[in-house]
Amino acid sequence: MSYLNNLKCSECGKSYDPTLIQTYCLDCQAPLLAEYDIEAIRLSLDKDIIRQRPRGMWRWKELLPVLNHTNQIYLGEGDTPLLRLDRVGEEYGLKNLYTKDESQNPTGSFKARGLASAVSKAKELGIQKIIIPTAGNAGGAMAAYAARAGIEACIFMPRDTPLANIEESRIAGAQVILIDGLISEAAGMAGVKAREEGWFDVSTFKEPYRVEGKKVMGFELAETFGWKLPDVIIYPTGGGTGLVGMWKAFDELEKLGWLEDTSRPRMVSVQSDGCAPIVAAFEKKMPFCDYWIHAQTIAVGLRVPKSFADFMILRSLHESKGLAIAVSDTEILEAQRQLAIKEGIFAAPEGAATLAALDKLVKNKWLQPDERVVIFNTGTGLKYLNIPN
Amino acid sequence: MPYKILYVEDNHDNQLIVKKALEARGYHFIWAQNGSFALSMARKEKPDLILLDINLPDVDGYEVARKIRKSRRKKLRYVPIIALTANALRGDAEKALAAGCDMYIAKPINIRELWSRVANFLPNTA
Repeated sequence: MSYLNNLKCSECGKSYDPTLIQTYCLDCQAPLLAEYDIEAIRLSLDKDIIRQRPRGMWRWKELLPVLNHTNQIYLGEGDTPLLRLDRVGEEYGLKNLYTKDESQNPTGSFKARGLASAVSKAKELGIQKIIIPTAGNAGGAMAAYAARAGIEACIFMPRDTPLANIEESRIAGAQVILIDGLISEAAGMAGVKAREEGWFDVSTFKEPYRVEGKKVMGFELAETFGWKLPDVIIYPTGGGTGLVGMWKAFDELEKLGWLEDTSRPRMVSVQSDGCAPIVAAFEKKMPFCDYWIHAQTIAVGLRVPKSFADFMILRSLHESKGLAIAVSDTEILEAQRQLAIKEGIFAAPEGAATLAALDKLVKNKWLQPDERVVIFNTGTGLKYLNIPN
Repeated sequence: MPYKILYVEDNHDNQLIVKKALEARGYHFIWAQNGSFALSMARKEKPDLILLDINLPDVDGYEVARKIRKSRRKKLRYVPIIALTANALRGDAEKALAAGCDMYIAKPINIRELWSRVANFLPNTA
């Protein structure tokens, strides 16, 4: 069973009832975060019990928001492999380089985790139609989970979204609306349709549960590394749900007392230099991002001019003593080639961006040879075949 | 005297949220629910800052910004304008800046960000 007991505003701390449909804080218009009865979990559960359960995201059910297991929509998400990258690591002088390969999730990306959680919770709350703006992969994931849940789905996507995302959404029965604009405009249009027609909006951080699915990446990393967290996590950042989610996961594990060593990783946010609002805000030490004008990159998942949770991303980076770094599309494509040639991994451009960032961090001597470094491949390159390179 | 902020917005719920937030920080809040009224209020009230929704029922926010920037009154011509939009049309941000707005914020507005952005122009008095 889930030990969800509260939803709390990430800004003002106001509580919201998790048994009701919630969006974001109505007072300060900031995301809500789920809270669990950590003491009860500590008394009733230990990490060995979780380890012995069937593989997948839902083996962490006590720390996920779905109360009744019959509402869990499962397509095989979670427990993606942590792969050593010995050949790439050797080139960079890193003895312990890994990738968390999220391309092996259902629908080929990490978005499966967040949408599994959000759609399952929507089903539990009796929601019958859900709407999402997407740069691509979130739409495909939502369509799949909504189909399996028997929930109606509507997806707003930029017209130049990879064809695979459009087709996987349509074949799962979602209503797909292609727009002239980016995810930010898609979000505005989806919001209008949601208000006018009664759709529930599952935009990034405008409901509380996508981040809960994403945080399981943090649990899995902790478990795989023997409950000692890696030294550095390099993560591609669009909306930032995964980065914020993992930081939340580490908080929860620390409160549970499950970590053998409470040292936290330095978190690195990677963006494209064609759309780098987090990098710009981090460098200027701003608490919020400015809206990025004329965003453009082949890594469409990074084409997010401003995240609704920008302040949470920036807070996590600062708390972790990490940083934010931008890479070019040319560097992304070269990194994508290197991952394929040296390691047999055909990464999404967003995932390849983390290797391009690693190259810079090694040259800057920000990484040490013995550190355990994880780069995240967030999806499969197979979905981007119609993007010219 | 507290700084005076004119909020141009046709949605009553948004107006209430922003009013509460700004008054909590000691700003004097005034409100116009359409573009035409906003222009007359701006001339009469001489606000220290304008929060300008783009999607208005009569004169849109771009036009309001352009007219303010062409004002013969120097204080009004240079008043800081922060554009706020639900971002439902392509290029809202670019058009708002081109029309003379100083800054652009997408809705829903994080209130702490609103305070921070406003305080960059007007140190709060609370």
